[in-house]
Amino acid sequence: MAQPSNRAERGVERVARVLRGIRDSLEDENRAAVATVGVMTGALLASLVGFLLVSSLTIVPFGIFVASAGYGWLRHQELTAKALAFAMTVSTILILILITTFIFREAIPVIRYESATVLGVSVPGLRLFLQPNWDAVSPPIRFSMVPMIHGTVLVTLIATAVAAPLGIAAALFISEIAPAPVREAVKPGVEILAGIPSIVYGFIGFTILSPWASDQFNILGQGTYLFVGVVVGLMALPTVVSVAEDAIASVPESMKSGSLAMGTTDWQTMTSITLPAAFSGVSAAVLLGVGRAIGETMAATVMLRGVPRLTEPLYNAFYGQETLTSLIARNYGEADGLQLSALFVAGVILFVTVLFLSIGSQYIEARMRSKLGGGQ
Amino acid sequence: MLTAEGSSTVYPIANKGSSYWNSNPPVSDGEYWGSNEEEGNTVPGWSELGEPDMRLADYFASLYGFEPTGEQATPPFATSIGLSHSGTGCQSVVDGLVDIGNSSGPITAELGWSEEKANEEVVDHVLGRDGQPVVVSSDIYDAGVTQLTGEQVRQIYQDEITNWSEVGGPDQEIYVIGRAEGSGTDTSFRLNMLGSADASMSGVDTRFGQNQQVAQAVQQNEGAIAYMALAFTSESVIPIGIDFEGTLYEPDRDAENTIFDSDYPLNRDLHQYTKITEDTPNGTDMREAAFMNMFLTDFGQQVFVEDNNYIPLPTADLESEFEKLPDQA
Repeated sequence: MAQPSNRAERGVERVARVLRGIRDSLEDENRAAVATVGVMTGALLASLVGFLLVSSLTIVPFGIFVASAGYGWLRHQELTAKALAFAMTVSTILILILITTFIFREAIPVIRYESATVLGVSVPGLRLFLQPNWDAVSPPIRFSMVPMIHGTVLVTLIATAVAAPLGIAAALFISEIAPAPVREAVKPGVEILAGIPSIVYGFIGFTILSPWASDQFNILGQGTYLFVGVVVGLMALPTVVSVAEDAIASVPESMKSGSLAMGTTDWQTMTSITLPAAFSGVSAAVLLGVGRAIGETMAATVMLRGVPRLTEPLYNAFYGQETLTSLIARNYGEADGLQLSALFVAGVILFVTVLFLSIGSQYIEARMRSKLGGGQ
Repeated sequence: MLTAEGSSTVYPIANKGSSYWNSNPPVSDGEYWGSNEEEGNTVPGWSELGEPDMRLADYFASLYGFEPTGEQATPPFATSIGLSHSGTGCQSVVDGLVDIGNSSGPITAELGWSEEKANEEVVDHVLGRDGQPVVVSSDIYDAGVTQLTGEQVRQIYQDEITNWSEVGGPDQEIYVIGRAEGSGTDTSFRLNMLGSADASMSGVDTRFGQNQQVAQAVQQNEGAIAYMALAFTSESVIPIGIDFEGTLYEPDRDAENTIFDSDYPLNRDLHQYTKITEDTPNGTDMREAAFMNMFLTDFGQQVFVEDNNYIPLPTADLESEFEKLPDQA
């Protein structure tokens, strides 16, 4: 499995080629064009510095940038367009870096506050995870992340239990079993499911599902992880279906034909050839779905109780307290000081989790592509 | 444009005032302003205003030196009320983002300020009162729990009483609903009912950010108890009487002591904060004064405060609030 390093090498080569290309094309361009783009770049960098310093003079370099870009667009369109496109790419990454830095920085006060001493060494932020009590108002003031992590894990597990089997089954059906007319009807249906705003699910959950569950299961009040998980699982379903369907469809026809030629039935081909071959892609689909479940906010906020505390026993999903996302959504308006900072900690945890999930699913997807050589 | 934003509790009052103001209705309207003899409509407090011969916003703005426009939907200056939270409203006015910050809790509690800092930075205008009735779901009310003592409410919210049978109700667990941690409603409830602004609320099962959600949850769950702004009570979200140290405050307007009284311990002032700047050392400029003075008239108190189920200010408070505004032109 030397794929990743190969890919890295190819990436380096590509960057080098692009750089060479830029140098060559710069040599080809006339001086005026290069000068214009130079002014543009300089002005843009100056605006960035001005922006970071929160200077009201930022408008000056930005104005120069807009003017030079406008001039360049009229006189030296090709080079200007290249430079602009490059600037856009860089700014995307820059924005990501700025946002990340900001959430981490805002989280620092509460990380300091929640220091715990282990073996005589004070570890910042450790108490966030060592004890399960959250109370932002009455002493002792504690901002434990444990109840929210517990809630997020429970909701995600339940959502996965709903979305994974349903999603994979639906993908297999759409891709391998359904006759063309059915497929044409079902596929857009699944996509429409993805288009329903999450507050609609939340609203149905709050007004219908939660009170119903409260009656049926004799729960005190309303709000259960179980139904939040089910609702979030339904919301993640379209993601799982469409990615898994892509993965299954990308299994080369030759593999399936080969299997069928050996005398297997359609179903045997599906279970012993298609699904195993598409396994990594299907896993990526489930991971993406899980990412959606973890990040889902609106439905969880509306349906949960908003009192951060562990359920008893821990696997009791009939009481739904709070998740990382709903904590932020519920409290951002009223929170200040340490409480606000604690919300940023929840943001950091979410950010890191979703980052790993998305890297993981992309890695699996890339592996599948290279393994099957499907398409490219 | 005069801008304000903040608490969802102050919003109904301020927004209704703003809507009236922006439409600038004529004297002949009768329903929103002035008197219409043909239809027999006259707005409340009309004679106390001296029956001015000007449109609504024209009249109140002219008291502070603005030119009347004489046109429908064209006030001398427009007003806009945003809806967010008490803390956000306070922060926005301090940051100079809006002219008026609406808050249901004192700014000292919302932003953690000292009394001195608040006096230096902002002026506190009170435009009405909000009672925080304690409400129960209709099954509990029908089972006979129509009043509780202050001590019983405290015990319920602090997890010392967990079943309605302990306070004379049915054998049913109590579903305790609170408000967003640290919100204006939450803070003043802790302060007035539980003893201090940082009192424990370990008995709370659910917290909601908005009055509407609380009302909905009380309506659709059995055995629920909650507290919320008066404006959101209904037949299925029923306010109960509270006995504070021997005085029973009843949810009935005709009772001897009612939850609408100023001395009901759960009542709280509804604030509009304006910022003290170099230009306005008194803290209130003419636009702000013209708009807020409207709420301090009998007309404003009845139409905007009382009709929204909030509690109008007594005369003495109205006078002291009026003193905070600059002199009329």
